[in-house]
Amino acid sequence: MSLVYMNIMMAFTVSLTGLLMYRSHLMSSLLCLEGMMLSLFILATLMILNSHFTLASMMPIILLVFAACEAALGLSLLVMVSNTYGTDYVQNLNLLRC
Amino acid sequence: MMTYIVFILSVIFVMGFVGFSSKPSPIYGGLGLIVSGGVGCGIVLNFGGSFLGLMVFLIYLGGMMVVFGYTTAMATEQYPEVWVSNKVVLGAFITGLLMEFLMVYYVLKDKEVEIVFKFNGMGDWVIYDTGDSGFFSEEAMGIAALYSYGTWLVIVTGWSLLIGVVVIMEITRGN
Repeated sequence: MSLVYMNIMMAFTVSLTGLLMYRSHLMSSLLCLEGMMLSLFILATLMILNSHFTLASMMPIILLVFAACEAALGLSLLVMVSNTYGTDYVQNLNLLRC
Repeated sequence: MMTYIVFILSVIFVMGFVGFSSKPSPIYGGLGLIVSGGVGCGIVLNFGGSFLGLMVFLIYLGGMMVVFGYTTAMATEQYPEVWVSNKVVLGAFITGLLMEFLMVYYVLKDKEVEIVFKFNGMGDWVIYDTGDSGFFSEEAMGIAALYSYGTWLVIVTGWSLLIGVVVIMEITRGN
């Protein structure tokens, strides 16, 4: 496999690790989710262009459409959290504390 | 150096990703994502995909990142944390950069790296020849096939976007 794929997969793994570890802001985790989508888009585009799989060129666009949908939903939830608590800190989401 | 431009761009791509995964304040994370998006567009352009590179800039950066930008401006703090202002963020950033440069060093030393797959530099020089594509761009024809072979795909994605808008309006209604 080509070396570019190694770097793109490394970028996906770095972003996944960033998504799973929270700091203070909920927005940072949504940004890491967007980063995962970007690295998947680039990886799919490079593999499709490299193997001349013409008909699959529409797949990264469809991936981007669903990523936009998901980002918008995540942002609307963040806006509601921010409206309730004033900030989007993760420590505010503590209603299910045992 | 120009023969390895795609590899260098992908290293800058990973560095941008480490920049926002180390979680500074979200506005600086958005900056890292914009840099990575631009460099990713450059990588796609180097493989010959001009329309998909334009999609990254127009739709991803120009659509989604703008929305993230003004949502961040709405929910941000007075003194945003930059990478050097917090030891945790700086430590995570330096660890990520160190990891990437260690991998690049192994690649340059051994000419191949095995993590799960076997990545070698020789893969860049193999050309897959599937015949003559004529005078048109294969990638543009494949995307244009979205409206002939992919009609059902367009209907499903359009419908799911409409349902997404309705769901968001219900979420942000409040009560």
